[in-house]
Amino acid sequence: MATAMPTLRRNWLVTMRAYQWTYFVGTLATGILTVGLAYLAYHSIGGGRAGGGFAAAAGTADYLGYVTVGAAASMFTVRMVLWVAKAQITEQREGTLESQVLAPARRLPYLVGVGLQSLTTTVVEVVVMLAFAVMIGVRLPAPDPVTLLAAFVAASVAVFGISVPLSAIMITAGEAHITQNTLFVAMGLLCGFTFPPAYLPDPLRWLGEALPVTSALRALRAATLDHAPLSAAAPDLLLCLALGLAYLIVGLRLLGPAERVAIQRGGSA
Amino acid sequence: MSAALRVFAAEGLKQHRRIFGSKLVVFSMLLWPVLTLATTYYTVLPVTSAPGAAQRWPLVAEPGRLLAFLAAGALAYTFFFSLVQSAWHFSFERVSGTLEAMFLTPASRMALVLANGSSALVQNAWLFGCFGIAAALATGSLHLAHPGMLAVAALALLVPAVAWGAFLNSLLMFSRDSAFLYTLLDDPLWFVAGVRLPLFALPVWVKAIGLAFPLTTSLTVLRGALLDGRDTGELAGHLAFLAGLSAVLLGLTAVLLRVGERHAQRTGSLQLF
Repeated sequence: MATAMPTLRRNWLVTMRAYQWTYFVGTLATGILTVGLAYLAYHSIGGGRAGGGFAAAAGTADYLGYVTVGAAASMFTVRMVLWVAKAQITEQREGTLESQVLAPARRLPYLVGVGLQSLTTTVVEVVVMLAFAVMIGVRLPAPDPVTLLAAFVAASVAVFGISVPLSAIMITAGEAHITQNTLFVAMGLLCGFTFPPAYLPDPLRWLGEALPVTSALRALRAATLDHAPLSAAAPDLLLCLALGLAYLIVGLRLLGPAERVAIQRGGSA
Repeated sequence: MSAALRVFAAEGLKQHRRIFGSKLVVFSMLLWPVLTLATTYYTVLPVTSAPGAAQRWPLVAEPGRLLAFLAAGALAYTFFFSLVQSAWHFSFERVSGTLEAMFLTPASRMALVLANGSSALVQNAWLFGCFGIAAALATGSLHLAHPGMLAVAALALLVPAVAWGAFLNSLLMFSRDSAFLYTLLDDPLWFVAGVRLPLFALPVWVKAIGLAFPLTTSLTVLRGALLDGRDTGELAGHLAFLAGLSAVLLGLTAVLLRVGERHAQRTGSLQLF
């Protein structure tokens, strides 16, 4: 707590003072335009219907609801990864990575602080995006609050988990732009944000299953579109949590050596 | 003129050293567009295979043509977005302290922004360009009125792209929050320009905004010339509009460069970031 809360406070100050609109508009635009594209395609091309075995593959016939939940999850994922995975390379660029290594603060609470800050901002962005979706006529049938909460927690653990090894990769490579965007486009294809992964060839589908975001999405959709009770979503929730924690543990083990490489290399990233 | 050519040569060399041979360009210029194209295809698939979709948009009856339509969008978007990226990189000169040095030299400002944009385009887009041509030939989706239309399509893509790049360079050179413009021009750009949807699916006001971006008309010409077998006569209106828009963008660039430099001289802001 001694590390997490001050980090949370510091990142809020940075956001409010320096980049308050850049990130907000950027994240929001991606979400709103994804839903907007689906909406226009659904009405002007699909004539208000979805075919191609969508209902069977997605487990719901509600194309717009499916894409909306995916777009919200995508905003959440991108934002969390951008903050948590880039936290340390940003410290390196700003010249404070050495101080961080010298300070008697542990990495996990530091990253949790960063994660909590991005969580609080993303909630605002996702709510604005969902308000837009409801305004254009997307309906999310009464979500099951318990399953939704559980799915939200599992998704947070999942995204936080994959961000930590990514942070290690970024400071080792001294590069963030390519790493993060490659992950984003790969997740966009593999995890089923905007279309059911069942459309993909099997090897790609399995690759998607290795990322906890895929099971998190299934759980989130079960809660928001299907009104699924906790027991029905449990397998996905457990899979998501297990994978997320596995990534987290591997990531924390990698951070130490990665910091050594980054500091030995010196210079700015 | 020879001074401007030297600026072009120097910028070209700089971009070549910085980008070419870097394996990273394979990611941003080939892997990302290809994966994004696949994602877009799968995302619209439920809608294009909905009953009756072929009456509203005949193209969807043939998955190959739908993919070619989306791929043409991805190709043009990659070209135009590579200029957004290059302009964004240009704004790093501010961070590394070379922007001010550039403005101390007697080099023509216009030549600088044009050279930066065009050499970045060549360095960045050749890979996806070659990929696009190879894919089109392999799948047989090219449908040309005559071979000359290939040149028309290339010019309709390159000339507005360079004008667009010069405009962005001049805009980002003087902006201290270049990340904001970068974000603003990423997703909204594909949305308003009809990269992933046919223009008829967009509401009128989005189409109106889209017309201000040269990518929209470039893409109409590109798809018309390469996929629908249209000739210059049929595309004349679009080509004229594109030429006009490129001229306006270059004019705006000249104004921005003058106003921006004067402002920077007064405030000394070229070193701040």
